[in-house]
Amino acid sequence: MTGLGTFLRFEVLRLLRNLRYVGITIGFPVVFYSLFLHNNKPLAHIAGTDWKTYFMVSMASFGAMVAALNAGGTRLAAERASGWTRQLRVTPLPSWSYVTTKISASMVIALPVICVVELTGLLVGGVRLGLGTWAVLTVVLWASALPFAALGVLVGFVASGETAYPLVTALMFLLSFFGGLFTPVTNLPPVLRQVADFLPSYHHASLGWAVVAGRAPAAADAGILLAYSIAFGLAIAWRHHVEEARAFA
Amino acid sequence: MDGAGAPMTISIMSPRGGTTRAGDADAGPALCFSGVVHRYRSLVALDHLDLTVARGETLALLGPNGAGKSTAISILLGLQHPQEGEVTVLGTDPRSAMKSGKVGAMLQVGGGSGLPHGVKVGELVTMTSRLYRHPSPIERTLARAGLTALADRQTQRLSGGQAQRLRFALAIAGDPELVFLDEPTVAMDVEGRRSFWAMMNGFAAEGRTVVFATHHLDEADAVADRIVVMRKGVVVANGPPSSIKAAVPTRRVRFVSEGADPEELGELDGVDAACVRGSEVVLDSLDADATVRALVASGVAFSDIEVTGADLEQAFVALTGNLAEVHTVEDAVASHDAGSERAPAL
Repeated sequence: MTGLGTFLRFEVLRLLRNLRYVGITIGFPVVFYSLFLHNNKPLAHIAGTDWKTYFMVSMASFGAMVAALNAGGTRLAAERASGWTRQLRVTPLPSWSYVTTKISASMVIALPVICVVELTGLLVGGVRLGLGTWAVLTVVLWASALPFAALGVLVGFVASGETAYPLVTALMFLLSFFGGLFTPVTNLPPVLRQVADFLPSYHHASLGWAVVAGRAPAAADAGILLAYSIAFGLAIAWRHHVEEARAFA
Repeated sequence: MDGAGAPMTISIMSPRGGTTRAGDADAGPALCFSGVVHRYRSLVALDHLDLTVARGETLALLGPNGAGKSTAISILLGLQHPQEGEVTVLGTDPRSAMKSGKVGAMLQVGGGSGLPHGVKVGELVTMTSRLYRHPSPIERTLARAGLTALADRQTQRLSGGQAQRLRFALAIAGDPELVFLDEPTVAMDVEGRRSFWAMMNGFAAEGRTVVFATHHLDEADAVADRIVVMRKGVVVANGPPSSIKAAVPTRRVRFVSEGADPEELGELDGVDAACVRGSEVVLDSLDADATVRALVASGVAFSDIEVTGADLEQAFVALTGNLAEVHTVEDAVASHDAGSERAPAL
């Protein structure tokens, strides 16, 4: 269907043109990586690798999450409020395409964000990995960012134009801090370590941490992320259905 | 005005000779409601609605808030399914008609602009055009909506009237056979409304079907081939503007008189309401002949007398009853139709 490709390109272009969005999405993980690289000893051993590599994965995961939550959440809520989503419903586009296009656009943006953080790791942190490991790491982090893309869209459906931004910010903070993206979970109190086990952010980064340590990514991590994707997807479908039923909302 | 009277039903079926577009094989009606019922909990929004619109017609849908106009339009657009009855649009069901790209719509947007941000006018029209199988050339759509000079402007920098024109451009970008406009000139100033309808007329003159809902009765009078007045989910009047006005017995007697006493004039035969502003007197009469005779007999000095038919606003009030008592469906269903508490009259 030609309309879908056109719509996706339109969405991605709009995201890329939003300087504040691009600044936050690229700037946050890159700046945090550069700042906190030396908080720990960059060569300190952690989870089978060193800190500079471990933290690069953390920040790539963080970047993918920031990209997806901001792309979906804040913008979708604003578009629902403005009436644009309703206008799209009176075009030939299938009604589910708005949701799938938003998720796809988040995924499209997440890939370069992951790559930029990896590049920062290479150039600023001095991370050295084999070519194959770089490739696998990129693909794994990117593919498993799906629950973030879905969560972003879900937030956009649940929040209003005013509440979306604070909600996205809160989620970003909670998921990254309690998911061990800034402080490794091993350094957290035991209670918080258990909290991390429930968070998609922790499992997302865990896949990457395994790759850089030369281990096979754990099926449990992938399974939990898949479960989150499905759960968020179902919640979106339900919200979407409710909104469709209220034709003039 | 006798608000309690049973709503009179006028049925004058005289759709303008449908100037069907060349190469249009299926010449059935543009849209057809038969026996459509739609309820919101206990509120009946559409009560066995029957309505047919021929291809090429320009139809105005009038009615107080809660009359069922928005519900009818949302069903026509496939946004809602009727609970009973059948609806066909361009010979098929509403959703399929929308998917075929032969239908365009401009919806009410409440508080927002109805437009995405971070995109230029020309880009948005281009993107929307590409969603359709046989769109109009983009330059043509822009020109039609008077947006050619604004093609490079970001959508968030448009004025209210410009945003409205852009939403119109999006509605016609796919070169639709049938266009729905739900209160298209809301919040436009007089000049904006005038140029909007000039634009619309050019579009309709190509043999397209246009259905619009409005609270501006003068627009319906000037633009529509046919007016359908709805009240409480049923059609209470259906015909060209002139027959709707003619069917209302009220006449307006206007003259100039110094020091006229409205109380005294109100007592004259046939007078329903008397209004005196300075030396200008306006009497609404249910029997203009008797009123004029009584006026002459009363000995009141007057000049420049003029008797005219009801205007559409009077007809509307007569047809829909006491406007204040009508509860809006939209209100009852929560704030779906934000900011729609405008008085139906101008």
